[in-house]
This record gives sequence, C-alpha cells and structure tokens, in this order.
Amino acid sequence: MRRGLALCLAAAALAGCNGGTVDKHALKRDAEKVGSLATEGELLANDMSKGASTKYFARMHAKELSRAASNLADALAERPISPGIEAHVHKLSRLAAKVSSQLEQLHLHPTNRAIAKAMRQPLSADADAADRLSK
Amino acid sequence: MKIFQVALGILAAIGGFVDIGDLVFNVSAGATFGYQLLWVVVIGVVGIIVYSEMCGRVAAVSGKAVFDAVRERLGFRTGLVALLSAQVVNLMTLTAEIGGVAICLQLLSGLPYRWLILIAGIVLAVVVWVTSFDWIERIFGYGGLCLLVFAVAAAKLHPVWSAVGHGFVPHMQTQSPLLYAYFAIGLLGAAMTPYEVYFYSSGGVEERWSPKDLGLNKANAIIGYGLGGFLSFSLMIVGGSLFLDKGIEPEFLGSIALGAEVPLGQIGLLLALVGILFAVSGAAIDTLFSGAYSLAQFLGWEWGRYRAQTGAPRFTLTWGVLLVLALGAVMTGVDPVMLTEYAVIFSAVALPLTYIPILLVANDRSYMREYANGRLANVLGLIYLAVIVVISLSAVPLLILTNVGQN
Repeated sequence: MRRGLALCLAAAALAGCNGGTVDKHALKRDAEKVGSLATEGELLANDMSKGASTKYFARMHAKELSRAASNLADALAERPISPGIEAHVHKLSRLAAKVSSQLEQLHLHPTNRAIAKAMRQPLSADADAADRLSK
Repeated sequence: MKIFQVALGILAAIGGFVDIGDLVFNVSAGATFGYQLLWVVVIGVVGIIVYSEMCGRVAAVSGKAVFDAVRERLGFRTGLVALLSAQVVNLMTLTAEIGGVAICLQLLSGLPYRWLILIAGIVLAVVVWVTSFDWIERIFGYGGLCLLVFAVAAAKLHPVWSAVGHGFVPHMQTQSPLLYAYFAIGLLGAAMTPYEVYFYSSGGVEERWSPKDLGLNKANAIIGYGLGGFLSFSLMIVGGSLFLDKGIEPEFLGSIALGAEVPLGQIGLLLALVGILFAVSGAAIDTLFSGAYSLAQFLGWEWGRYRAQTGAPRFTLTWGVLLVLALGAVMTGVDPVMLTEYAVIFSAVALPLTYIPILLVANDRSYMREYANGRLANVLGLIYLAVIVVISLSAVPLLILTNVGQN
C-alpha cells in the first residue's frame, strides 16, 4: 500500500511539472495557448459588442482570460530558454502581455459595447500573431 | 407520476457526467479531437448503466448498498483500501465541485470568490440538513436539466452531421495518439466514477426499493445515464463545432458557458450557468453523500437521509466533517478544474475495487435469489470489467506521458 501511495504521489508530481526550459515544443504550446486566449477573448468581445452577454459574466470571464495571459507572459519572461529561440520567446511574452491588457479592458468595461467592438480586431490580430509564432 | 421517479437516476447521472471536470473535459475533447471521441461516451454510458442496474438491483433485493457488499466480499483489508481510495477521491471531487459552485455564482453575480465559497458551503449544508432526499433529487436533478441548452447550442452551431455520425464509429485520426488515449481513458473513467454507483445504490436504499421496483431501477439507470450521455455528446459537439477550428482550448467554466452564449446569446448563457450551477451542486451532494455512505456502510453505522439526523448521528457528522474539510481545501485557492481532472484519473486506478464486488454480489444467489444476474448482465459485466482493468492500468501512465493532457 505504501508503494502504491508513493507511486501516486510521484505521478502527481511528475505530471504537474510544467516549468523548466522553454524549448521549441514548449514555445509552440505556449504560442497556441496565447492564441487560444486571444481568440476566446475575441469571441467574448464580439458577444459583448452585440449585448449578447451579461455584465457579470463578461467582467469575470474577461478577468480569468486576462490573468491566464498575464501568467503566461510572466512565465515566458522568467524561464530559461533554449538557444536559438530567445527572440521568439521574448516576442511571445510581449504578445501575451498585450493580450492580457486588452482582455483587462473588457474586464474593466463589461457593458461598454464600443470598447468591446474596438477590442475585436486587435485580439484577432494577436491570435494571428500567436499562430505565426507557433509554427 | 411514475416518470418523475427517475429523479434519482437523473441526479446520479448529472452528478457523474456533468460535474465541473466533465464539463470542461467533454468540451476539451471536442475542441481537441472534434467528434472523434463520441463513441467513447457511448461505451461509458452502457458501462455505467450495466453496473448501476446491478447496484440498484442489489439494493432493491437485499436492502444493502455497494459498500456493504465491498466489506462482505473483499474482506476488511482490501475493503479498507477501497474505502480509503474512495474517500480521498471523494474529498478531491467534493473540493472541486464546491469550487465550481463558487465560480458559477461568481460568473452570475460578480461577487468575490472567497465569499462565494463560504456561501456555497453554507447553502449546501442547509439544503442537505433540511431537505428530504426526494426533494434533493428533484431540485438538483431537474435543475441540472437546464444543461439541455447545450443540445440546442450544438444544433444551432450547424455541425457537419455526417462527421458527428462518424464520431460514433471508433476511429482515430490524429498525430497525438497518446493524448487521444488520455482523453478516451478520462472520458471512460469519468463516466464510471465510483461515487456514482455508491450514490445510486445508497439512493435505492433511501428510496426503500424492493423487488417490485426492479423496473423502476432499470428506468432510472437507462433514462438517467442515457440523459447524462446525451449531455456529454452535446458538450463535445459544441467543443468540436465552436472551438476546434478557432484553436480555442477551453480551460475555464466560463469557456463552457461561452459555448452556449455564442450561438444563443444572453438567454443561452443564463440557462447554461443555471444548469451548470445545479449540475455542479448536484455533483457536490453526490460526492458528499457518497463519502458519508461509504464510511457508514463499511463500519456498519446507521446511515441515510431517510432517517432523521438524530437517527444516524455518525452519518450526519461524517458528511459535516467532509464538507468542512472540502471548504478548507477550496479556500487554499486550489484550481477546481485541474483538481477534478486528477480525481478522475486517480479514481480510475481504483475502479476494479468497486466493480468486482458488485459483479460478485449481483451473481450471488444467497443474496439475490431469483434476481441474480442473467447471462446478458454477466457477459456485459465481464466485458466491462476488462475495460475497467485497462482504464485502471493506463490512467496514471497517460497522465504522466501527456502532462495532464497538456501534450
């Protein structure tokens, strides 16, 4: 039973490990995540601009997305990087921070349709930029 | 009306199939693999129907629930391992569900998360304390049916129906076979989570089922879990239709609700949030009771909501303690969605310890008399036992190899 418990704990620890050096695979995955957050933000902004969301949902979900993007930006800025991809990683970190601040606007102005409409295109462009970095 | 007597099955299914982890998991499966994993949900639904029907039959004929059988059939030591693993997973899942309730309330109200954790805990405690089992089933089971909005959303998103149909045929078109296997195992494990059968069988005893209720038992199992499977299909189709092409990886409960908002607007969003709230609350109650049922049944205590609190004081104290422990855990800030993913995978490891005794007891003529398993039940039971062993052996390796599904 003790061996089984140790195995489970080790499994949890190993599975949870997500730090370490940013290599090409990690860059690709993180770029996909930034793209995902930006695209989801664009969907939310689109609904907000049409009045198809609610104030509290828009505020809280935009905050969640913004926080996730910010965490990614910080992690990319702090983790060691494999040689040869430094420029891309820094670019992705700045992009994630940009996405975060755009989503923060949605969080701060959940009922402002004009701001939501204005955020759609920048978020879409950021998603495209993230997609290019993931390739 | 008899049709309303399937509320037990619906609540067990809602709690088992669309708890916070399943909600995100099903939509993620669609967002990652489109409709390719729909067939896995079918396998899971049939499996849980087979075993829940057995559990309900055991409860109706013998007056005993699953953990009574575990203790009697496996002996004290092995039974204790099954109990401890079940309690750890129950507590993890309960923690996640309470967190999920708080998140849902936050998406509806905008209030601070930590306050809502406390409110969620207090409301759950009050509801469980004052409400009869029948009304708990009805409120949370039928309230969770608001999730049917996802079926409407799925249709409104105009999926390619031929591709959806193809999803019911086992196939794999992916460059990530390990990730596909992880999702398949996770979907199967989530469909057959032990707390579903603990809750279902104990609920059968709570409802005082007898052999004349065997038809009702079958109806509960088929309709309840069939409905749960239908909701899973709807969520996966929403994921495949809305998120896959856009490259969105849904991680949050809000992402799931967005799946109803985009095609249906504000009304879709509100129905989705209300449905999620009832479903996740129902899952919290399922796991809360499952934990208390398992411990009380294993130790031979009086148990059940059909007794007054004074009639089953240790059972009452147990669910109270579990609730407080879970509240404390949620307050640490643990991510409810990630926690329930781990809970599903770890519960998958212990699945054989739950399902083997059920199969043994359901075949035991000294328990079951003329109501013991027929040939069909045994054939299906053995097939699914093999499936369960595969799930049990592969869950943890896949968890590690795919970095908890992050690939």
